[in-house]
Amino acid sequence: MVSLADINQVLSKKRNLDSKLVLLREFLNENNLDFCFFSLSKTFSKRFEISNFDLLEDYHQYSFFQDKQFGQIDKETYKKLKKLSDFDLKKKGVISTIFFFKKPVALIYLFSKKKKLDQLNNICQYISFYLDSFIREFHLQSKFNDKNNVLQGKLLEIESIFKITELLNSHNQNDLYQNILIYIISTLNASKGMILIKNINSGSYDIITSMGIDEDSFQKKIIRDTKGVLRDLKNSKSTMIVDDVKNYILTEFSQANCLVSPIISQKNLHGAIIICDKETRSGYSSFDQFDLRLYDNITKKISLSFDNIVLLETLSESKKSVDNIMSSISTGIIQVNILGEIDYINTSALKVFNFDKDNVVGNHYYMVFEKNDKLISLIEKTEESKEILFESNFDIKDNNDKKHQINLTISPVFDENEKNSGVVLSFEDLSGINKVKSTFKKYVSESIVDELLENETSLELGGSEKEVCVLFADIRGFTALSEKMEASKVVYVLNNYFQSMIDVIFKHNGTLDKIIGDELMVLYGVPLKTDNDPQNAVNSAIEMLFSLENFNKKMKLEGLPKLEIGIGINFGNVVSGNIGSDQQMNYTVIGDNVNLAARLCSNAKPGEIIISNSVYNFLDDKSKFIKSVPLSVKGKSKPIDNWLYKHKISIKLQ
Amino acid sequence: MSKILNTEESNGLVIISTQGYLNKDLGEEIQSVANEFIEKGTTKFLINLSQSNIVNSIGASIMIELIETLQEIDGDLSFCELAPIIEKTFNIMGLTKYCKTFKSQSEAIEALG
Repeated sequence: MVSLADINQVLSKKRNLDSKLVLLREFLNENNLDFCFFSLSKTFSKRFEISNFDLLEDYHQYSFFQDKQFGQIDKETYKKLKKLSDFDLKKKGVISTIFFFKKPVALIYLFSKKKKLDQLNNICQYISFYLDSFIREFHLQSKFNDKNNVLQGKLLEIESIFKITELLNSHNQNDLYQNILIYIISTLNASKGMILIKNINSGSYDIITSMGIDEDSFQKKIIRDTKGVLRDLKNSKSTMIVDDVKNYILTEFSQANCLVSPIISQKNLHGAIIICDKETRSGYSSFDQFDLRLYDNITKKISLSFDNIVLLETLSESKKSVDNIMSSISTGIIQVNILGEIDYINTSALKVFNFDKDNVVGNHYYMVFEKNDKLISLIEKTEESKEILFESNFDIKDNNDKKHQINLTISPVFDENEKNSGVVLSFEDLSGINKVKSTFKKYVSESIVDELLENETSLELGGSEKEVCVLFADIRGFTALSEKMEASKVVYVLNNYFQSMIDVIFKHNGTLDKIIGDELMVLYGVPLKTDNDPQNAVNSAIEMLFSLENFNKKMKLEGLPKLEIGIGINFGNVVSGNIGSDQQMNYTVIGDNVNLAARLCSNAKPGEIIISNSVYNFLDDKSKFIKSVPLSVKGKSKPIDNWLYKHKISIKLQ
Repeated sequence: MSKILNTEESNGLVIISTQGYLNKDLGEEIQSVANEFIEKGTTKFLINLSQSNIVNSIGASIMIELIETLQEIDGDLSFCELAPIIEKTFNIMGLTKYCKTFKSQSEAIEALG
């Protein structure tokens, strides 16, 4: 016995109408009931995907279907149905028409030899009722879904507009155009697109980003706004639908149609956004006026923001460039604003203080330099005095409490209205290599230091024999002189004298070996050899005498006595290396040739330079020296040939 | 370039990893690969979208179709490593009501395995 509950259960098993009916037919057949379903509408069949049941296409010529049919099939209906369908209809079957919006859409037929008419009618009526409800519900659900889809679409559009607005307002300009294009393409269900921007220098347009397009195919094409889509955009300055896509180079890859929009800056065309081929479930379709409206809305926003985008890009480039410069210099730079907050810190400064940039920028210098009270005081002092402050060999503690020495300058910063806008700290780290460099500069010229640091292999330290030119310069009669002067004045005179001489020595690439009392010992050829070390030494010596003249003039003005010096120079093999004890060790040179230079010096009268043969032989201009009487010196069995320069009779050096 | 990067099967779970725009083309490619597995009896699918940064409504609707197909056979579809914008689109389109989403593939495998 077939119950209505069973039928309901069977019908509820499947979601699709055709599947429901197939299952129902199987179930009823198993229970000796003939069941058939006839669709009366092509649209209905299509909408409900009816594939297992007949469509009575010509039913409408029979007026009887226009009325509600229910109950036992009458003779006339039987005859007509027989004509329309191959189904084995029985005269004693029952039928029921299913209407949708007052139009008949389907017919169900039921027959059983074993069932009474009222039983058949009951079953038929129940199925008819179920299908009526299902169809109505399906229709409402579809309508709801359609509306829901539209709303979802609108929501996505709004989301996309929000997202694009967010992107345009964001300071992060990385991949901005790419992101904009992605959002436009996805919002409008396009399949591909590109953004072109005018190259200000060439006037042509470059594809700056694309999606789904083979950019190589445009590589050799010069894109201008004198023809094609860009010309149209330049003239109309408004968003357009391009249907004749194959007529334009920029749209010929499209298979349906394109949406194109201008990017306007200061009333001129500066770029274009092109998207192509709207996707639907069944393939590509054409963009319509609704799409155009949305597209116009979005792209106008981009166009309005274009000037800002360009400005931000330029700013970002400049900032990057300044950052690169600041990062590449070894000087530490820290900028403190008027509120005392760190606005900027470069890589070198981060390294010296061992700071994490995120913990520094934006924080007050009180917090940042909490381990450096003295530094805080100096910043405060500069803030107050508005004057540049310099501190050499200034001790600081880094973030890990490690001590460093820096040469520090704190300068007040003034804006264009000469209003103080903070301070800038600049400093050189004296630890590590910087300390070496700074210390080394006291002994050799800066050019030698730089060369040594750049080219480590040029440095030959250690005990080895090498050819070196040695210069000794001694103040004549200084001991007697110093006895008549106050100690502080002696120191003052000596310091000024050494400063003048050392400037000349460094100028000629000399290395200050040592100062012994009032005597200078200078080496040429260590730690770096030059093309002509003897010539450099002689040039140094002559200029030292000229420099001494100026020095004496200055001393005279200050009421101090004048100094006179004698110089001796020798060139030859010496032993160089670190010489001394564990407690004190210095890099120097020793040997006969060093001693000879000292002897020559002690024989030189005030204003004289005595050089050995080995020096004389290397001179480019020998005319300044005259052969002198060979000298007998301690440690040498034979008198030493030597050459003399007398300051007063020489020609002034240029 | 939108494409399926990799398809692997482990303990009855098919993991499909994609790259690029989840639009009609990629959606249909996923559907086609999934259908081949469904015919062989697979019912559990995980789609890893870590390399896909954007989706359109057609791509999302194809995913809904795939969910419907899987519901018919008591199967299910899950997603992992969704970009925020994809997650938002899936939410708006109601897709996340019918499927699970996971932050990572390992988290998904652990939950679905």
